[in-house]
Amino acid sequence: MTRHVVSVALLWAVLTAIGEGSAFLDLFPAVGSSEAEDFDRIFRILLIMGTPVFAFVIAVLAYSMVTFRASGPDDAPPAFRGEGKIPRVWLVITGALALTVMIYPGLTGLRKLQSDPNGYGWSDTQPNLFIHVQAFQWGWQFDYRDFEGQHLDFSVLSVGGNAAELVLPIDVGVKFDINATQAPYDPGTNPEGGVLHSFWIPAFRMKIDAVPGRTTTMTVKPIELRGFQDDSAFRVQCAELCGLGHAVMATPVRVVDRAAFLDWVALQKAAARK
Amino acid sequence: MWALTTVSGGVGTGLIGFYLGIAVSALLRMAFGYPDPWDRDFDCSIGYVFGLVGWVMGIGMWGTWSREWFGLKTRTTRVQGWQRYFSFCTDHKVIGIQYLTTFTVVFLLAGLMAMLIRAELATNGLQFFDKQQYNTILGLHGILMIAVAVAAMVGGFGNYFVPLLIGAEDMAFPRLNALSFWLIPPVALLLLLTPFLGGLETGWTAYPPLSVQTHTAQTFWNLAIVTFGLSSILGGLNFVMTIMFMRAPGMTWGRLPMFVWSMFVTAWIALLYTQGFATALLMVTLDRIAGMSFFNANEGGDPLLYQHVFWFYSHPAVYIMILPGFGVALEIIGHFSRKPFFAYKYAVGGFLGILGLSGVVWAHHMFTAGIPNYLHPPFLVMTEIISIPTGLIFLAALGTVWMGRLWLTAPMLFALAVIFNFACGGVTGIFLADVPTDIHLQDTYFVVAHFHYTIVGGEIFGMFAAIYYWFPKMTGRMYNERLAKLHFWWMFIGFNVTFFTMHWPGIQGMNRRIADYPAALNGINLFVSLSSFMLGASFIVFVANIVYAWARGPVAEANPWSARTLEWQTSSPPPVENFESPPRVVGHPYDYGIPGSVHSVFGDHPATHPAAAAGAASGGAAGA
Amino acid sequence: MAVITFGPPAHDLPNRAQINRVGLWLFFFSEAILFGLLLSARFFLEGIHRAQVNQFLGLIITIILLLSSVSAFTAETAIEHDRRRLASAMLLVTIFLGMVFAVGVGFEWATAEFHRKEAFGTVFFTMTGIHATHVVTGVLMLSLAWAQLRRGKYSSKSHWPISGTVMYWHFVDVVWVFYYPALYLVS
Ligand code: HEA
Ligand code: HEA
Ligand code: CUA
Ligand SMILES: [Cu+2]
Repeated sequence: MTRHVVSVALLWAVLTAIGEGSAFLDLFPAVGSSEAEDFDRIFRILLIMGTPVFAFVIAVLAYSMVTFRASGPDDAPPAFRGEGKIPRVWLVITGALALTVMIYPGLTGLRKLQSDPNGYGWSDTQPNLFIHVQAFQWGWQFDYRDFEGQHLDFSVLSVGGNAAELVLPIDVGVKFDINATQAPYDPGTNPEGGVLHSFWIPAFRMKIDAVPGRTTTMTVKPIELRGFQDDSAFRVQCAELCGLGHAVMATPVRVVDRAAFLDWVALQKAAARK
Repeated sequence: MWALTTVSGGVGTGLIGFYLGIAVSALLRMAFGYPDPWDRDFDCSIGYVFGLVGWVMGIGMWGTWSREWFGLKTRTTRVQGWQRYFSFCTDHKVIGIQYLTTFTVVFLLAGLMAMLIRAELATNGLQFFDKQQYNTILGLHGILMIAVAVAAMVGGFGNYFVPLLIGAEDMAFPRLNALSFWLIPPVALLLLLTPFLGGLETGWTAYPPLSVQTHTAQTFWNLAIVTFGLSSILGGLNFVMTIMFMRAPGMTWGRLPMFVWSMFVTAWIALLYTQGFATALLMVTLDRIAGMSFFNANEGGDPLLYQHVFWFYSHPAVYIMILPGFGVALEIIGHFSRKPFFAYKYAVGGFLGILGLSGVVWAHHMFTAGIPNYLHPPFLVMTEIISIPTGLIFLAALGTVWMGRLWLTAPMLFALAVIFNFACGGVTGIFLADVPTDIHLQDTYFVVAHFHYTIVGGEIFGMFAAIYYWFPKMTGRMYNERLAKLHFWWMFIGFNVTFFTMHWPGIQGMNRRIADYPAALNGINLFVSLSSFMLGASFIVFVANIVYAWARGPVAEANPWSARTLEWQTSSPPPVENFESPPRVVGHPYDYGIPGSVHSVFGDHPATHPAAAAGAASGGAAGA
Repeated sequence: MAVITFGPPAHDLPNRAQINRVGLWLFFFSEAILFGLLLSARFFLEGIHRAQVNQFLGLIITIILLLSSVSAFTAETAIEHDRRRLASAMLLVTIFLGMVFAVGVGFEWATAEFHRKEAFGTVFFTMTGIHATHVVTGVLMLSLAWAQLRRGKYSSKSHWPISGTVMYWHFVDVVWVFYYPALYLVS
């Protein structure tokens, strides 16, 4: 008995060690925002906690299959029935594990993402740029509203794979207010409608649905000077089945430095006035 | 030919009902002053309801049951051989086979659709299908597989073996049982017709407003689901009653075989929650055909209402899928480890814990759906608590194999694989239950990988375990053990390679339900597609083995596994009344190796329990 | 191959009466979820907002339905004591009251001041519609039971169809006890 326990423990340790190696692998797409850093960290923590659980199951199964095999119905002498300490210990350990995962990184991570219990969405960073997002079948419109107190009133309309981009300045908190609409409209005129969409930027690891009838929100803080050309994770991707155009409901994202952003804004403003 | 007459009779009355319904609905529309009496979705819905009644009446419910309500004498029919399977037969064993064959065929069909999906996804761009066709195939693959997962085990093995395992002669409501099955063919027909009625667009979840606005065969899909739900509810009710009231003398709750426990809990979940599925789709139907506004935000409706109602059923439904898988795995591990079951009470506690918690976690599918923020923490917490009762199942499985004498037959291998695969699927579930990670992972291939690990890895592997385990009992013949093991390793490797890899594109930003994706993900998708073809090919071995064995495999003995439970103490296949003389249960089912322990006695003689001899006699089975 | 005979069970279970009764309860349990979900949908969409409904009519049909439960109960008690005439009369009363209720709902529908397109209309018509469907089903089942009773099929020992339908009738009634305040009273 002891021999078996020791061997299986060793096997478990080895498997766990191998598995934990995966936590050092680069599993993730480009890290584009501070939220992405948090995601990657939390994902790794879960990986580190989950690996031993999975490894334990494999270790016991594999070891038993090899060591305790028989070639016919050969009844084993009565062994333990699991009425003593073991199940209780198991309960305590799994309970503790579940509780841990729940609190850290679960609830703690969640708290960082939510400031208003009645809101609909994520608020991780203090925003300085405000963008209203309209999701429709099948495209996006980004209404730039306000940058550091400066009023902006131009829109970027992205439909059918045109060249439009979502341009964001680096190191600035951005707040998106998201609506689902029937078709793009000038803010304050058209009624809402349409179907569900989901506003997702893989490089930022953030997403929230666009829901007819309510405004959802999400903030991000880009930290990498990159764009769609460098990495396809820099794209706004619709992530809620919305009909035939769902797959192509994507818009490139480009993160630029402050000066470039201001230039771009000036250009857009000029174009909007025309 | 008798079978032909009943079935064509049912089709006939069904069609009559259908056209009658259409006429009624068109007349009603005219009477209420609609300009156009013909509205496809509306008229066909009414027609369908009438047609459904016509069908079940025509197939045999009228003759064997409903006549009673009108004070007429019901008819008695005597049928032989294969024709039984085409009749409104109330024998639970016949119904079990009906379910099993139907859903095995559906499984293979839906599997072929998965192959089409993977072919399209092998590289970016559109190759074989346009977007509409892709969405149709995707939706059909999803819903047919969900139907398989919900009904194949419960309807098939549940029907066949629950009465046998508890020593009953039949189910509590045999005629209701036949009705549950005969509601299924219209469901299958409707679903398979959808490609020709406009296709599908919304995946298996059918979220409005898209499902309200879409000009596809959505209404027919809804009707199919509501019918399917009705069948599940009636089935669940029947199982709960059977297990509560029909146990043989001495079959106390503490002696119930594991599979019966799992079916008991599954049946409760089906009974309690399936209404949610039906209600959700009823609302969609009303929005579509009656111009109501459940989900129309402009009129005060709310799309999120659907998601709440839908997941209120569909999360518990994932336990309808997995619990029979767990039950079969524990049952088989209990017999093939040849030692007393480990932590029986805790495993039962695990089942009951899952039953209790299954109804309070649904919003974990809606973490990014724009629900109010105060809902996230409670649902996060409840979802993670569910891993504790699930862990108890693992405790029982691992404790039972530990220090046993594992007889590694094909069913045992499949059962162990259930535990292995589900460990992976369960742990990835934790990643999804943690809101901070789910925000990115929701709607990506990470989720696709998670649920194929849980459903395919857990339940479908369990289903194959059960097929091999009970095949000799159901057919009286033995399959080829070598081919079965080949099937196992082939499927096991194919499955794990395909779906473990699938996590990665998900993390990388590949979302679900798309026919086209960024070119950067080409390599990995090609790899997944190729390995999925390998996985698919493994089923050819299965089909060949089973078809051959059923037709001319060697005759199986009554108890080839020398197992202790009741179903093995009767002939293979069992007689109509199940047992020659009524069984009495006197001990625990899994007490292998305990001197003098007996599970059941028939008449006055303890059940024979021949040990090693039986295993050697079954030929290839012993060649572990 | 085995020969199978099927049709009415040759010898039935000794505890059939109990099984039927509990089985029906389970069915109610499941139905209650359907009604409960619709009720939740009403509050989810509309909070406690309510459009103008016909209060007088609502009160009347509620009283009628409650009365019909009393007559249904009397019918069941009567057959338990082999008083067939009373049972038959009471079933007829129940059927009549049920039909009046259904007509009342129909009248409410025809004269409603709101449209099914508005959220309140949506929940109102769906909830009353599903409930009325159950009432109509109940009326049909009661009529079948009544016809059998007239033909002398039931006695104090065997009258499950009557008990079953009456149980069902009570259940439908209880549902209305929740629906009535939710649709007519709150605001
Ligand atoms: C058989 C089906 C099945 C089962 C059993 C499960 C089980 C679980 N599922 Fe899964 N799930 C699905 C089928 C299933 N799921 C499907 C089909 C979808 C997608 C639907 C769609 O959108 O189309 C889905 C989606 C899904 C989501 C939503 C993802 C998204 O769209 O954003 C989430 C989020 O929380 C989730 C979580 C879980 C959890 C926590 C469990 C838990 O029950 C798992 C518990 C088990 C374990 C944890 C392992 C064993 C335990 C131990 C060894 C003990 C020790 C371990 C710990 C203490 C951690 N699932
Ligand atoms: C029981 C449940 C179940 C099962 C078993 C499967 C099995 C498989 N699934 Fe499925 N899948 C779902 C349930 C299931 N799936 C659900 C619910 C969805 C979500 C739908 C939605 O988003 O709405 C989904 C979605 C889904 C997707 C995502 C598509 C998308 O989002 O765009 C993919 C992609 O790879 C996929 C692949 C596969 C593969 C490769 C298999 C393989 O395991 C299949 C193996 C192959 C076979 C079983 C067929 C073999 C048969 C033969 C080779 C013929 C032999 C026959 C004779 C000789 C007669 N599935
Ligand atoms: Cu918009 Cu998908
Ligand atoms: Cu779930």
